[in-house]
Amino acid sequence: MAGGGVTDIVAELREILAEATGRTELAGVGEQVPLFGAGVGLDSLTGTLLLREVHRRFGVDVAGEDLNLDALATLGTLAAFIAEHTA
Amino acid sequence: MMIKCVIWDLDNTMLSGVYLESVPEPPPPDPAMVAAAAELAGRGIIHAIASRNPPEAAQYAEKATGLDFAAIECGWDRKSDAVRRIVADLCVAPDAVAFVDDDLYERAEVSFRVPEALVLSPEDMADAVGWPEFSPPVVTAEARRRGEMYAERRLRQEEARAFGGSRDEFLRYCGTEVSIGVAAPADVPRLHELSMRTHQFNSAGRSLTEAELSALTSSATHRVAAVRLRDRFGDDGLVGGCVIEAAGDGWTVPLLMMSCRATGRGVIEALLAWLARSAAEAGAVTLSVPCLAGPRNVPLRLALAGSGFRAAEGGTPDEPVVTFSRALDGPLPELPDWASAA
Repeated sequence: MAGGGVTDIVAELREILAEATGRTELAGVGEQVPLFGAGVGLDSLTGTLLLREVHRRFGVDVAGEDLNLDALATLGTLAAFIAEHTA
Repeated sequence: MMIKCVIWDLDNTMLSGVYLESVPEPPPPDPAMVAAAAELAGRGIIHAIASRNPPEAAQYAEKATGLDFAAIECGWDRKSDAVRRIVADLCVAPDAVAFVDDDLYERAEVSFRVPEALVLSPEDMADAVGWPEFSPPVVTAEARRRGEMYAERRLRQEEARAFGGSRDEFLRYCGTEVSIGVAAPADVPRLHELSMRTHQFNSAGRSLTEAELSALTSSATHRVAAVRLRDRFGDDGLVGGCVIEAAGDGWTVPLLMMSCRATGRGVIEALLAWLARSAAEAGAVTLSVPCLAGPRNVPLRLALAGSGFRAAEGGTPDEPVVTFSRALDGPLPELPDWASAA
């Protein structure tokens, strides 16, 4: 998938993230902000909602393919992972 | 399979009439159904409503029956969709759910689309109270209060939706208190129950008997920790625990578990931070959690990843048990301010 594809995926992930966390300000979160820890504060509840929605919309089972969930480092890494697995 | 949740229709099932057609007064509750539901609540089985009615019908039923409902789905879409939403919201397995409805069509629709669920008519339900599926062998104090705790959870969630800030701010606003301490012999029945009932947050994917847990609490080489949770909405009691094995310069956690009712309330990260800090204090250099990594315990893997744990080299999704570990020589996670070590 081309670079434009990843940008589109990031935009869609921002929406999903804002929805899963109930925090609308996350609709503008940077592509390289860590999802775990202070920045976004992804936890097991919001993380599960995010992964479920990614599976539903993109057909990519991140947890099934990435044991360490490294794809969840940032929205950028998650988008790249999705692009790679839908290519 | 043990039933954990009963989902009730209202019209001509929990109520002895049709809510929208009864004027001027709504129909009274059906005494046989209320008695059955109250008996099951005493055994730790929770209740939910799936009704083709406006939300006021559920509010009325809650008041008129005096029962606690963990989830309420009122609307005009398919009953099977309502059942699916309740199953997802309460994180119970579909085969741990019973659905009670007087309407043959609704029962057939739910049976067809949620084949795992136990589908019953009100007549069946009156009888089913005596069935083994509805008779858990152990009923702990937490189990008896479960219905109430789920009703409190509903209120907490309603407030969380209206709350503007972050999750941590909400936890502080709720006066969340997580306390972690050494398990006492009196905690063993509840820890055993947790080991059987937890799936999303169960590292080993297995349960421990009361005898095994008792032996571990008095073992020289093991420790068993118990985690309690409460806030101003209510006291959830013992919601989690873990078994710790200290050997050489490492701590291993053969079982880590938490009730999924405690999800999103800062419990699992508090427990993982406490484990890392306690292990480091005791001189350990690594902390390991062997996990039966499957689709069901993804929430636990998310918590482990968020707390700096890494899967061992060679771990693949095909390899059932994978050890997640973290080094303890670098910066350690802070115990969240809502958590304390008892």
